[in-house]
Amino acid sequence: MVPSDYPQFPLPINMPQQNEQSIALHSVSKSFRKHVAVSELDLFVPRGSVYGFIGPNGSGKTTTLRMIMNILYPDSGDIRVLGEQLSPRIADRIGYMPEERGLYKRMKVRDFLVFFAGLKNGKDVKASVDAWLERLDLTGWADKKIETLSKGMSQKVQFIATVVSRPELIILDEPFSGLDPVNTDVIREAILQLQSDGTTVVFSTHDMSMAERMCDFICMIFKGKKVLDGTLASIQDEYASDTIRVQTADGRRVVEELEGVEHINDFGRQQELRVRDDADPQRILRQIMERSAVQRFDIVKPSLHDIFVRIAGPASREVEHA
Amino acid sequence: MRKTLLFALREYKAAVRTKGFIIGLIIAPILMSGGAVAYVLLKDNVDTTDRKVVVLDHTGRIFSKLEEFADMRNAQEVHDPETGEKVRPLYLFENVEPNAADPHAQHLALSDRVRSGELYGFLVLSEGVVHPTDESTEARISYFARNAALDDLRSWLGFQINHRLRQLRLVDAGVDERSLPDLFHWVQVDGLNLVTRDKDTGDIAAAREASPVEAIAVPIGIMMIMFLMIMMSVPGMLHSVMEEKTQRIAEVVLGAVRPFEFMMGKLIGGIAVALTSSSVYLIGGILAVTYMGYDDYIPYHVLPWFVVYMLLAVIMFGALTSALGSTCSEAKDAQSLSFPSLIPAIIPMFIYLPVAKEPMSAFSTWISLIPPFTPTLMVLRMATPEPVPLWQPVVGLVGVILCTLLFVWAGGRIFRVAILMQGTPPKLSNIIRWAIRG
Repeated sequence: MVPSDYPQFPLPINMPQQNEQSIALHSVSKSFRKHVAVSELDLFVPRGSVYGFIGPNGSGKTTTLRMIMNILYPDSGDIRVLGEQLSPRIADRIGYMPEERGLYKRMKVRDFLVFFAGLKNGKDVKASVDAWLERLDLTGWADKKIETLSKGMSQKVQFIATVVSRPELIILDEPFSGLDPVNTDVIREAILQLQSDGTTVVFSTHDMSMAERMCDFICMIFKGKKVLDGTLASIQDEYASDTIRVQTADGRRVVEELEGVEHINDFGRQQELRVRDDADPQRILRQIMERSAVQRFDIVKPSLHDIFVRIAGPASREVEHA
Repeated sequence: MRKTLLFALREYKAAVRTKGFIIGLIIAPILMSGGAVAYVLLKDNVDTTDRKVVVLDHTGRIFSKLEEFADMRNAQEVHDPETGEKVRPLYLFENVEPNAADPHAQHLALSDRVRSGELYGFLVLSEGVVHPTDESTEARISYFARNAALDDLRSWLGFQINHRLRQLRLVDAGVDERSLPDLFHWVQVDGLNLVTRDKDTGDIAAAREASPVEAIAVPIGIMMIMFLMIMMSVPGMLHSVMEEKTQRIAEVVLGAVRPFEFMMGKLIGGIAVALTSSSVYLIGGILAVTYMGYDDYIPYHVLPWFVVYMLLAVIMFGALTSALGSTCSEAKDAQSLSFPSLIPAIIPMFIYLPVAKEPMSAFSTWISLIPPFTPTLMVLRMATPEPVPLWQPVVGLVGVILCTLLFVWAGGRIFRVAILMQGTPPKLSNIIRWAIRG
């Protein structure tokens, strides 16, 4: 059960009309025997947006993405993608990179990409394959077998396979997991370039900072239900400015046991303090200054990470079990 | 359909471009023919070292004839008549007087000579062998050698000595020795096919000689090719689907094709592999049989049925094994399902001999109409010289088509549910539930 005091968001303001939606889910539910994976889910992804899909493990993200891809069938509800009911023809207009990805290891990189683009009815794919290989710095590996690639290279090949047929909608399940910072930047830039070319991008991630920086819209699903949906600003607006970001010379030690502080998120050199509604930030600042030299003190809205933890963290489970 | 064919092409290339496929193409017939091919290839690869055997002839009446038989054999069978090359060992016999006083010591001494390599073996013919019903003397032929049980020489000795003993018994009964060749002349029963009338001239054509090649070898050969095609293409599908599932390729592919297209691509790829292999074997077999002069025995009328049945068999068993492969989450699941999934294809291998011998019996007819057995057993029956009524292969074909549709339908439902399912063991109850409920 989702705690009753979770903020319930209305549909994003100025929700686009149906022909402007890349994905529209109405009351979609899916169960696996007795386990409810997705319950009464409504979801609308505007065309041309970058849409972040967040939620803890096992919350129903992958099931939802698989239903959008027509790999799993919903028990009830309606799914429209690119303005149409799901069909094999529509699937050709969608690029999909699942979280658990595999490649035909004995195939050569270029052959695999041409084959996969062919499965997606891609046209003039050879030139496109070569362009993407060059763009992701894999030209030298084009005629090598996939089994010779590193994990990061394999992931880039997987990404190319997803986008090479020039789909209108791209769905990426955890596209950044396992990538080093350099390759993360490469993929991130590629995604943003695709968006600027008009492609709608939906991706799930556990990297909250990436979602904050990249996504026009963010949706959080928890235990099969949608608990957040909107722009980052609209989501944060639902929460009070109850967070203080502090950086001192002495780290966490100086922010412990401060009056009015409910919770501390320790990031090492920086701490985020969640304060009670009736707490006085000035008083908290004074207490900290008495203990150490303050290098930074910001009163901010809670970060996406903090919101995520408030919803899905251990404290929420205590509320649920109370 | 385009995606299915594209996928099938990938499957086909992945299968036939491996060394394993080429090696399998060569090795499989040898393994499947139960060593018969290996025997044919290796039968002339014998040890040609001469066999020297000491004979202790207590009767005093056999050795000289035995030596005569050996001389005849050595003159006719030891050297290749065309090349003159020695292809078999000489059989050389040495007559030694039996030591009646201490036969055991003599046998030990001869055994030592065998152990040292001086002799190949020794033979003891007891006194009573000529008239074994006379119980006053022992009737025994004893052959001592290092590997007496599996020795070709022992078989040769048994035949020649008994032949000589029959001659001696007749002579002792007062038969003139000059009539012995006539008494022992063996007349073979010639097997002939039925007499027919020539379609063009209307003349009665001479009956063709019945041949074991036509009656047994060709039908079994064709059936074995069918079985080989199933075994070369179908088990691979189970492992390939299982690999795609465990290596997480399946979901990537399912993002582009529907599960049914995925499975059909694999099946069509399997059919293409089977057609490639069968082409090699059929063309090779026809050329080999023609080279050996048995081209009249090739049942060309069976070949269209063979191709149709083979395609359906690959689809039928392929759908089953692909579906089972999709239920496997790890290699040990696939290992435990490999054999059971192929049992319907293997059972005909246990019953083909009585079917080949009596192709028109009630047992042969009904067993060949059970759909999973039909492809192998029906072509076996049709390839024998006995004419199978047309209704039987037609009914068999209908049954196979229906069974294939059932397997593809159920396999597709199992495949769709199971291919993304991790950690659920492939229990029979689960598999049946997925097949029924989808």
